[in-house]
Amino acid sequence: MQQFSYVITDEIGIHARPAGMLVKVAKIFKSKITLNGKEKTADATKLMAVMSMGIKCGDTVEVSVEGEDETAAAAELETFFKENL
Amino acid sequence: MLGFLKGKAKGNFIYSPCKGDLMSLTEVPDPTFAEKMLGDGFAVIPSEGKIYAPSDGEITTVFETRHAICMTNTMGVELLIHVGLDTVTLKGEAFTVHVSEGDQVKKGDLLMDVDLEKIQAAGLHTVTPVIICNTDDFAHIDLQKEGSVTNEDEVLKIS
Repeated sequence: MQQFSYVITDEIGIHARPAGMLVKVAKIFKSKITLNGKEKTADATKLMAVMSMGIKCGDTVEVSVEGEDETAAAAELETFFKENL
Repeated sequence: MLGFLKGKAKGNFIYSPCKGDLMSLTEVPDPTFAEKMLGDGFAVIPSEGKIYAPSDGEITTVFETRHAICMTNTMGVELLIHVGLDTVTLKGEAFTVHVSEGDQVKKGDLLMDVDLEKIQAAGLHTVTPVIICNTDDFAHIDLQKEGSVTNEDEVLKIS
């Protein structure tokens, strides 16, 4: 399993648009990608679950990736978070 | 229609969340919606600042910025009602939400009052997309209507 954590720096956090983009990236990979934050857990391929976490600026998100392409997926997601959130 | 069914929402139909004019999702001037990145659905340009539940179900999320509400209907359809475009930037100004997460709602219940003039004054579009977040779970999402609608109109049929 690959894991990393990221502190959101985007002023408005994971609202609809970035959640949609994140889900799109997560769906590319076969690995199971799980987000943890604010005492909530979401499958990163489920849009409403991701939006329902209510992640805001300053919140920490723990990303866990498990599966055959976990190394590539974790790297791609980390880049996505840095560039967009 | 049979009398005893009157007023009861059908789980496989999604109604308009407000009075206004329908806009095809692909014409919404925001690629997030137009390219269906969040899912399939429809959009309405509201003529009144009242947003109603488009189906029976449970409120799953009220965005802290109050510009969007998610609900899961009785058939498992996950709906995002996003009032206006880029309205996250208003940080709650213009929106008075009347429901909370976990509330059970019926089609036609008032979810939110919106100050449409405030959205326009900020230079933003009031068009309100209604998105099926779990589009992939359904084989058919068919548009039932075009033109002007009220919240009594069935807009999408889901099967």
